[in-house]
Amino acid sequence: MSIDHLNKQNYKEGFITDTDSVSLPPGLNESIISQLSKIKNEPQWLKDFRLKSFNYWKEMAEPNWSELDYKQPDYQALSYYSAPKKLNKDEIPQEIFDTFEKLGVPLHERDALLGIEKDTKIIPTVAVDAVFDSVSVATTFKAELEKHGIIFCSISEAVQDYPELVKKYLGSVVPPKDNYFACLNSAVFTDGTFCYIPKGVRCPMELNTYFRINARNTGQFERTLIIADEDSYVSYLEGCTAPAYDENTLHAAVVELVTLDNAEIKYSTVQNWYPGDENGVGGVYNFVTKRAMCKGKNSKVSWTQVETGSAVTWKYPSCILKGDGSVGEFFSVAVTKGKQQADTGTKMIHLGKNTKSTIISKGISFGDSTNTYRGMVKVNPGAHNARNYTKCDSLMLQDSRALTIPYVTCQNDSAILEHEASAGKISEEQMYYLQSRGLSEDDALNCVVNGFCKDVFQKLPLEFAAEANSLLGVTLEGAVG
Amino acid sequence: MLKLIDFEIKNVLENINLTFEEGKTYVIMGSNGVGKSTLLHGIMGRPDLEIGGSIEYNGSEINDLTTDERAKLGIFVGFQSPTSIPGLSNFQFIKQSKKLKAVDIKSSLDKFKELSVSLGLPTDWDKRNLNTDASGGEKKKNELIQMLMLNTKFAMLDEPDSGLDVDGIKSLITQLNNWKNNNNTLVVVTHYEKLIQGLNPDSVVLLKKDNVTVGDKSLADKIFSSGFEDV
Repeated sequence: MSIDHLNKQNYKEGFITDTDSVSLPPGLNESIISQLSKIKNEPQWLKDFRLKSFNYWKEMAEPNWSELDYKQPDYQALSYYSAPKKLNKDEIPQEIFDTFEKLGVPLHERDALLGIEKDTKIIPTVAVDAVFDSVSVATTFKAELEKHGIIFCSISEAVQDYPELVKKYLGSVVPPKDNYFACLNSAVFTDGTFCYIPKGVRCPMELNTYFRINARNTGQFERTLIIADEDSYVSYLEGCTAPAYDENTLHAAVVELVTLDNAEIKYSTVQNWYPGDENGVGGVYNFVTKRAMCKGKNSKVSWTQVETGSAVTWKYPSCILKGDGSVGEFFSVAVTKGKQQADTGTKMIHLGKNTKSTIISKGISFGDSTNTYRGMVKVNPGAHNARNYTKCDSLMLQDSRALTIPYVTCQNDSAILEHEASAGKISEEQMYYLQSRGLSEDDALNCVVNGFCKDVFQKLPLEFAAEANSLLGVTLEGAVG
Repeated sequence: MLKLIDFEIKNVLENINLTFEEGKTYVIMGSNGVGKSTLLHGIMGRPDLEIGGSIEYNGSEINDLTTDERAKLGIFVGFQSPTSIPGLSNFQFIKQSKKLKAVDIKSSLDKFKELSVSLGLPTDWDKRNLNTDASGGEKKKNELIQMLMLNTKFAMLDEPDSGLDVDGIKSLITQLNNWKNNNNTLVVVTHYEKLIQGLNPDSVVLLKKDNVTVGDKSLADKIFSSGFEDV
């Protein structure tokens, strides 16, 4: 197989939707931010939050400690708001609707049903919030969820309808000053998902947000905030794609999760942003800050991610294990090919007593790409009996690069931390064995890689597992040189 | 029918001329390191082997076919030391190799379980990871199951007896003899007398670096009594 075939990107989501939209002119200054706040009809406290963040941001410098090599975005050349012109508040323009249909995202509540009939009631399985460029265009099953007291809506709506909740928690897990991109996000965030699960409620369906970037030269700055009150549970899935543009698109999101006593949030992401072409032209810059505050006793947050897209990925979904007995988990499969670069991993910060964290990271790299795992396990002096298990494995083909950079700090004698790592090439022997049973080269590679990723795939919710599996298959097509 | 014509594998074998006919059983013997395993893998098309001469299968030359293409023609090799594939279960592997349709899965699984039990394998063998949680003998039994479940027409087994316990050997002989018919070919590399007796081969091939001696079962007896050099 030729090298060309190997690195050819077959990104079927690369189409562009032709739709009327309202946009702010490019540029970033107090005036733009004020306009943005006005368009969204925001209360004063939020406008102040934004302007304060912008002032911090002006004093900060873009970080340069990573292994990543990318062209710095020109922040003044981006437009910070672009939304489809809606005919009226409740009507989605047909072309937007069609876009999501094409991507396989069910916006009709009827379509989201998988038809399990119990008595006369059909139990739905997936509620969807669809975000197109800077706005949420549809959220399904809101009424159904409201019956349980669950709030699942766009963050813009939450600001209007549940301001006290938003005000209480926004910025509590990722403060604006946290890092350069979180700060920028705090100034210009547009939309994202807000979710609140009340005490004792187990959310009856998977909640799903699907992000679609469409307009050129815009930045995408979502903000997601999920709060699980005492004894509650929710499983949340996030999917994303973007058209195939020659310019780089910046995606700087912030996700904050809060779990109170005995609550649990499962957060899964299948990321398939446009990765750029085989020469590294175009592609999304995916610079994301995701963090969970396991505030309550025995609370738990699991991050599961399958990253196959974006030109440059920079993200460390993390857990602050504050509550005694709290648990943090991070399961990741990151694939890079062509000229993609990924610097991703997690931070598990053990503060409370008897806290536990598990990290399983699988990196697969081929072509000329670079795949870095960067993880931190920090055990503070008060974190008695902390436990961590970390396993990072790298699989490489051709001349790709894989790096593993663990940071381990332990300030408590009773902690037990385990770290295992492996790095290797896809074995010729395994490939030959599989092929001797009639599997083609592609199928054999799929088998080996799937087996390699198995422990992570098993953590994904069923619907996502199937999608992740097929995405991996598409990503690996023609990968064997 | 598989023919090797002036067959050579660089740095291993040369001047090998052999014909394997349908409906027959062949035993390949030779001293350690002479190239018996390599011969089998040369026929299977292992990419690192440099081949000269010609391999003809059912009248057509297959030198340019890839390993999986040869497998699809019904050529099978049972490895001497099967490799392990983490995360892939034994039955899943069969499913993939056969590209089973949903309707056929149950009957296939039943057959798989039947075979594994008759070979003395545990009842959850279908769920165990391919060759990862398996002893040497268990791996060999797995090779046999795969041979029997795929559409094998030309089976080459590399020391299928090594590691098998006494019951395993008995089952191996029974299963292989049951499998034999007028249209398929069985080629076994072995040093083990009992297996040769049990399989009752039509031909015994003594492989040397640059030639072959072909005889009937009495050739095997000669080798066992006098060693390789005197033959």
